[in-house]
Amino acid sequence: MRRSFALGAALLLAASLTGCTVGGGTNASGGEITFLTFETPNLPPSYWDSAIKRVTDRDPGLRVKKLVAPSTDRTGYAKQLLQSGQFPDVAIAVDSAGFAESGNLYAWTPEELKDFQFPGANPIKGGHHQLPANTQTIPPIYYNKKLFADAGITSTPSTWNELLAASEKLKAKGVTPFTIGGGKEGFPSAMLLDGLVSVDVYGKTPDWLSQRRADQVKFTDPAFQQAFGKFADLVAKGYLDKTQVSRDYSATEAAFLNGEGAMYPMGNWFAASADAKKPPFEIGVFNFPSEDGKLVVPAYTGGGIVVNAKSRNLDAARKFALAFQLDKQQIDASVKADGLFPAIKGYTPPADVGPVFKAGYELYKEAVAKDAVVNAFSWETADDGLLPGMKDKVYQAAQDVITGRRTVADACAFLDTEWAKAR
Amino acid sequence: MRRKPILPRVWHFASFGAPGVVVYLCFVMAPILISFGYSLTNHNPFNPPAEFVGLENYRLLFQDEQFLTALRVTTILTVIVVIVPNLLGLGVAVLLDRKGWLYNALRSMFFTPVILSSVVVSIIWTKLLDDRGPVNDALRALGVEHPPGWLSDPDLALYSVASIVCWQMLGFCVVVYLAGLQGVPAELLEAAEIDGAGPVRRFRAVTWPLLAPSLTINTVVLLISAFKTYDYVKVVTNGGPGSGTTATIAFDVLATGLDANHVGYASAMAMVMLVIVATLTTIVLRFLRRREVDL
Repeated sequence: MRRSFALGAALLLAASLTGCTVGGGTNASGGEITFLTFETPNLPPSYWDSAIKRVTDRDPGLRVKKLVAPSTDRTGYAKQLLQSGQFPDVAIAVDSAGFAESGNLYAWTPEELKDFQFPGANPIKGGHHQLPANTQTIPPIYYNKKLFADAGITSTPSTWNELLAASEKLKAKGVTPFTIGGGKEGFPSAMLLDGLVSVDVYGKTPDWLSQRRADQVKFTDPAFQQAFGKFADLVAKGYLDKTQVSRDYSATEAAFLNGEGAMYPMGNWFAASADAKKPPFEIGVFNFPSEDGKLVVPAYTGGGIVVNAKSRNLDAARKFALAFQLDKQQIDASVKADGLFPAIKGYTPPADVGPVFKAGYELYKEAVAKDAVVNAFSWETADDGLLPGMKDKVYQAAQDVITGRRTVADACAFLDTEWAKAR
Repeated sequence: MRRKPILPRVWHFASFGAPGVVVYLCFVMAPILISFGYSLTNHNPFNPPAEFVGLENYRLLFQDEQFLTALRVTTILTVIVVIVPNLLGLGVAVLLDRKGWLYNALRSMFFTPVILSSVVVSIIWTKLLDDRGPVNDALRALGVEHPPGWLSDPDLALYSVASIVCWQMLGFCVVVYLAGLQGVPAELLEAAEIDGAGPVRRFRAVTWPLLAPSLTINTVVLLISAFKTYDYVKVVTNGGPGSGTTATIAFDVLATGLDANHVGYASAMAMVMLVIVATLTTIVLRFLRRREVDL
């Protein structure tokens, strides 16, 4: 009898406490949510902790438990968490493909997306699951102004032939024109290919990858092969060094900052490192050149927060996501730390950002004004993106051509074969 | 005279063995059976429910150039990793089978890589073998104008990865052979010496046959660990440079299952790998054990 009474009292107490937690407060979101983040040299724990604190300080009922992905492969880790029933309430910079189609991600309403510059970015089956928080241009070409001047290059290339001419002058001076990498990340070896496909193929057919998904075009088609052929031409002319494909991302960046190589095709996030590390030479940046000089700028808008559609605290998760993403201080911090171009209406970066960031941002603003922005090949994540697992195949195809294991025709056929398998 | 009841005795043995059996069933047999079940479906974690496809995944597997390449890569890696540390380990163990602080220190030195994490070892060697790393810098200092691209040359990268695995496994082989050497009865060696046998003859006729159990242990452990190689490949080359130059079957299983979401197909790969490893291990064990019995 006494035991039953104690049990009943305990249940009542638990119920009342639960009620207090969930329903407590009128303005606060309330409850605890889990937030999957990641850490890089640009984005250390302090960056995340202070950004989370700013949001929770304004919403005292909200508690955020930070989870950190063990590597830069946030998407892979999120998949593991999903499989083990621990999918977080909120996650940032996780590729929404797959998660969205299977109904695991909340689809944002137009009202919630009203403050974002490109609310229609990355649609998956008509829904918008990832906050389109920032844009990254991928790749502009960063260059070493001193090496350019020493080689007698007086203006930055805007056509493909001008780029080849500049490369020849640099090579004649004993300088490797392009700094590339690869290693365990893979993507630094495909940056030039990404730029070529984006500018040459998407410049003419912006929905090329959607057509590939519908099997209306193939990688072996002339348009794609021609772009890949230009990449192979750079290799054949000795403008990039095949031994560099073993270098990981940080070593690749370090090599360029140490003055090895005159040009560095990389996403605009590199600007943050360039400004922070201040190498002993000036760094400039120009848009990836097209065949005839027409302005075409590859970019990816997304990278923001996704929310677990099955979250037990969905309301708090949504509010936190929006508050985190629209917090001016957080956006300023992301600009300085990671060189991102915030895609928030009316936002202007702080005045004290570095010169490399400023130069890249001006190029991007011009492209937006001239409506010259296209998707960045191999970086798309939505219905118009590569099939799961295909990114690595693109990196492999690029490396095969660099190392001479495959011809362009073979590499394109390889991509078509892998595409069929990825379906 | 009363006979002891049988049931308590059975219960005694059952209770002794049950925890092990339960752990084995839950953590070894169940995952294998689940994986086999997946291999008969087109399971995709994002697209449930999975459909039963029978042996279709297995049929496709043996027409898949990528899988056959991974099989070739794994075979080459396994052959190197089974032979090299075994041979070098035996040589080093024979040299270190002496008393004294120097030999003790050298034994510790050889064993140190074994206790390091394979990821740490991989990171260290990635830095050392980079084209601008200390190894190539040293070669350049010695006048080699174009040192090898240890990790960037598609013809070399697999051998570089294999060398790293060999480097780490060498200490293990040394320790097992040293234990074997210390079990060789001194009287047998003395008797052989009295009979006029020189050091080489003594080793061949007395020591080597008695090292048969050590050879069995080393070979089986190296065979299994080489066939499952994933971590070194992931960290050092990520399967590259390019397509299929260093991607082992274990690497492909994870890439196909986790990156491309084809869990059913990846499970079929894993099952084939399991059958190959089990078959090879059984053959090697039978062969080497027979040698032990013949002593």
